[in-house]
Amino acid sequence: MRWWRRKQKDDDLKRELQAHLELEEAEHREAGLSADEAQFAARRALGNRTRIQEDVRQVWGWTWLEALLTDLRVGIRRLKKSPGFALASVITLGLGIGAGTAVFTLVNSVLLEPLVYRESDRLMVAWEHVRFLGGDAVGPNPRHVDLWARRAKAVTGFASFSQGVRAVSPEGQATQIAGTVVCTPNLFDLLEVRPLLGRTFRAGEGARGEPATAVLTHAAWQSWFGGRADILGRTIRVEEAPVEVVGILPPEFQFPNANALRAFPSGQPKSGVREPAIFRPVQFNYGAMEWNGNYGNWVTLTRLRNGVTAAAAEAELNTVQGQVLGEMPAGQIGKQPGELRASLRPMQDVMVGDARSGLWLLMASVGGLLLLACLNLANAQLGRALSGSRDTALRAALGAARLRLLSSALAESLILAGTGGLLGVGLAAAGLAAFQRYAPVDLPRLSEVHLNGKVLLFSLLMTLAACLLAGLLPALRTLKTDPHSAMQQGSARTHGSRSSHAARSWLIGFQVFGCTALLLVTGLFVRSLVHLLNQDKGFETAHVAVAELRLPPKYYQKEADRVAIIDSLLQGLRALPDVESAAYMSAMPLEGESWVEFAGRPDRPEQKGPMVNARWVSAGYFETTRQRLLAGRFFEERDRGRDVAILSEGEAAALWGQEDPIGGQVKLLGKTFHVIGVVADSKSASLKTAPVRMAYVQYTYRTPANMLFVVRAREAASAVVPAMRAIVQQRTPDIAVARIKTLDAQLRDSLARERFQTFVLSAFGAAALALAMVGIYSVLSYAVAARRQEIGVRMALGARRTSIYRLTVEVASRPVLSGLLAGVIASVAGRRLVENSLFGTKAIDPALVAAVVLLFLAAATLAAFLPARRAACIDPMEALRPE
Amino acid sequence: MSSVMGKEPRNRIELLQGTLDMLILRTLQMGPAHGHQIAKHIQRTSDELLQVEHGSLYPALHRLERKELIQAKWEPAGKDLKREFKYYRLTPAGRKHLRAEESRWKLMSEAIARILWPATET
Repeated sequence: MRWWRRKQKDDDLKRELQAHLELEEAEHREAGLSADEAQFAARRALGNRTRIQEDVRQVWGWTWLEALLTDLRVGIRRLKKSPGFALASVITLGLGIGAGTAVFTLVNSVLLEPLVYRESDRLMVAWEHVRFLGGDAVGPNPRHVDLWARRAKAVTGFASFSQGVRAVSPEGQATQIAGTVVCTPNLFDLLEVRPLLGRTFRAGEGARGEPATAVLTHAAWQSWFGGRADILGRTIRVEEAPVEVVGILPPEFQFPNANALRAFPSGQPKSGVREPAIFRPVQFNYGAMEWNGNYGNWVTLTRLRNGVTAAAAEAELNTVQGQVLGEMPAGQIGKQPGELRASLRPMQDVMVGDARSGLWLLMASVGGLLLLACLNLANAQLGRALSGSRDTALRAALGAARLRLLSSALAESLILAGTGGLLGVGLAAAGLAAFQRYAPVDLPRLSEVHLNGKVLLFSLLMTLAACLLAGLLPALRTLKTDPHSAMQQGSARTHGSRSSHAARSWLIGFQVFGCTALLLVTGLFVRSLVHLLNQDKGFETAHVAVAELRLPPKYYQKEADRVAIIDSLLQGLRALPDVESAAYMSAMPLEGESWVEFAGRPDRPEQKGPMVNARWVSAGYFETTRQRLLAGRFFEERDRGRDVAILSEGEAAALWGQEDPIGGQVKLLGKTFHVIGVVADSKSASLKTAPVRMAYVQYTYRTPANMLFVVRAREAASAVVPAMRAIVQQRTPDIAVARIKTLDAQLRDSLARERFQTFVLSAFGAAALALAMVGIYSVLSYAVAARRQEIGVRMALGARRTSIYRLTVEVASRPVLSGLLAGVIASVAGRRLVENSLFGTKAIDPALVAAVVLLFLAAATLAAFLPARRAACIDPMEALRPE
Repeated sequence: MSSVMGKEPRNRIELLQGTLDMLILRTLQMGPAHGHQIAKHIQRTSDELLQVEHGSLYPALHRLERKELIQAKWEPAGKDLKREFKYYRLTPAGRKHLRAEESRWKLMSEAIARILWPATET
């Protein structure tokens, strides 16, 4: 039955009953009754007509919907009477549900949804653990992987890849920097990805001397070739070399960018890399590869066979690792068991990495915030419900069913929550689109973030939960209203009943509790970020700009060519009027460790050589970055071509202990260097880890292909960026600029996640504080209004104003204080959740706790002041005048 | 209420729940009828023993219609073409349902009779 045919059916029923009455009446008349008597008898025989109609309607169904619609109509009418309250509630709930939806979308897309590959839960990242490298997980040696692939039965194979950026020129277009992946040909077979067009790589493809081929992502095909159909067989130039396009990947294909999967899991995110656009094959010549080395250069994926657990596969790999150790030529590595190990971790876990705890923390805080908003609303609803309690009492007295009363009391909350939910989903969709476009934080799987049915269901649940939280308590309280007493008494005296007062105290307590916990967590993150920014970095970022260039392969052959480029560019940069100094360096600051080598003392061959980061620099590097000299001297122009090295404090201490290293010799990079200086430890690799050990050598020895320059400007660093770009274009037009930016910007980028997290948490914390203040204010205002007469009596009997102030504040003080205490206890108990995300900050910080407690008490006092003042200003004469 | 009840005959039987549906269906087996006719028919054929409360008749009729056991249509009454009544008639499903109910009822009343008056059985 269609409910819009209701009217017609209703008329129909009325007509049917009327006909019945008429027939019955006629019968009675025929039996000899008078007209009046006949009519009366007929009516009596039929019974209560309204009741019959109700019963029949019940049979038709839809009465519940009708009742609901009526309740909603009444609810809207009541809300219209207080538009300010309605608007504030809808906005509060909208923001709360919006934030919840947005954060859950991130949690769902990044943490919960499986990767796009078939049976992606069987995909694992394989790591190698080498004892002399410290035993941390590193990308495995391909020669070892080759043996794993031949002997391990638990997995279907191994595919390795490495990511980077290359200068790419698609046919007839300007050179641009694109993300590239170099992979073993079986990568797509392992991922079980079929190409949209053409093919993926064949076994053996990518060997030296074979024609160069590439597979493009769907996005690259669209943007470079406009999605043209005759793409196969066309060439693009990658670093000058022609490469033939043999395949296009499907649009739904996703590949982790280099930030998400790293060969050194502890490394910093690299802010210069993009989503991969080009895949190129590489064929390993295993026989010619190192037995012991080449660690951490490749990321290796594997797929578990059906039904095999990761633990079983890992155990098998470790058996093979034992064989590898035995087969390795002598003198390469210690032969004790356990020298080489392997481990497997689900690809999704590795990709998500440390974003996991951050996202869950965000989810928890947004949930807490929503809870606070609902409690506020419940509080306000409680006040409104009580003021409408005579109305409810009247209905109860007239025999309304309890369920109907409950539903009409909930209708208002349902309207508010429903509108807020719609608003929230809209806000979340808009916010997520902006988040993806501007990507304020480097999140793994960012391109996969999307709103879907699961998220919408979650929003719906949040909305219903908000409705119940905000409305159920007040609704249940209205049920408790005793019709007799509510009808009998004047409204003013019944308001402050003891149980409603208790309910409000609990609400306030919960709010204070949630707010305190959130503020404490926020405070920890703020402190941690401040620590990261203000710690002694060992170098200075102000006035410094950095540039990274991409060398075309023709410069890969001769070292002299690279030296010539560096010299030419340094000359140009140093000649710029605003430049104080300029230097070459081999690695971008704050992007983690790279080129990790052994270093040892030739005079102490038995000493176990510690690992050190080798850095190539030119004279002027330490002056430009303002690193502190501890002993000896910095590089000078006369050191060019000489075998001299400068060590970091930590490295010098590791090799020489208390002795003086200056003038000593260090074996490094296959050569013996004279130590001429020691610089203070710096956090140039990462702000988030302890300083790493460094060894600096002249760029003229084994000149790397990494082209990075650092420049100190006399004025603002950003002012010299255009001039730097001009110099590069003028002196070396065939070299692409990967990026030029200030070192401050590089520092901000390296802390993007921490900054974003702190920003969001601060916003949440401020919102929570505001909500708690509003909550305290409204409860006290209500209490004062309800006790107006009582206060009037007290004042008439001679109570002082201060005692009235105390009386008002006492209403809130117990819930506020217990809430504070509970919040502090909860934050202490829950510290494990945040500990891993903090730097240089203890999870329990008495000063911070004190600061938050003081802040909160100040806010609570502020919120309590107005109502208390209002109470103190009550005029006894007026308050005691009868209503 | 009680005064009204007092005027009613003492020996009338209140209908068991669910039996009204069956009685309606049985009445309609003899042909289409409107509400008033159905009420009167049940009353008459039971020798006024069964008192159908007219009020409960209509929800039952609409319930049966919703279950598609009966159909309803406004039709002119016999000779008087000006007056229309809502006539109910059995559907095939209603006919089938009635047969099933009848045999069920028979079994049940026999069983109850056997328990209440075991002597007559032996």
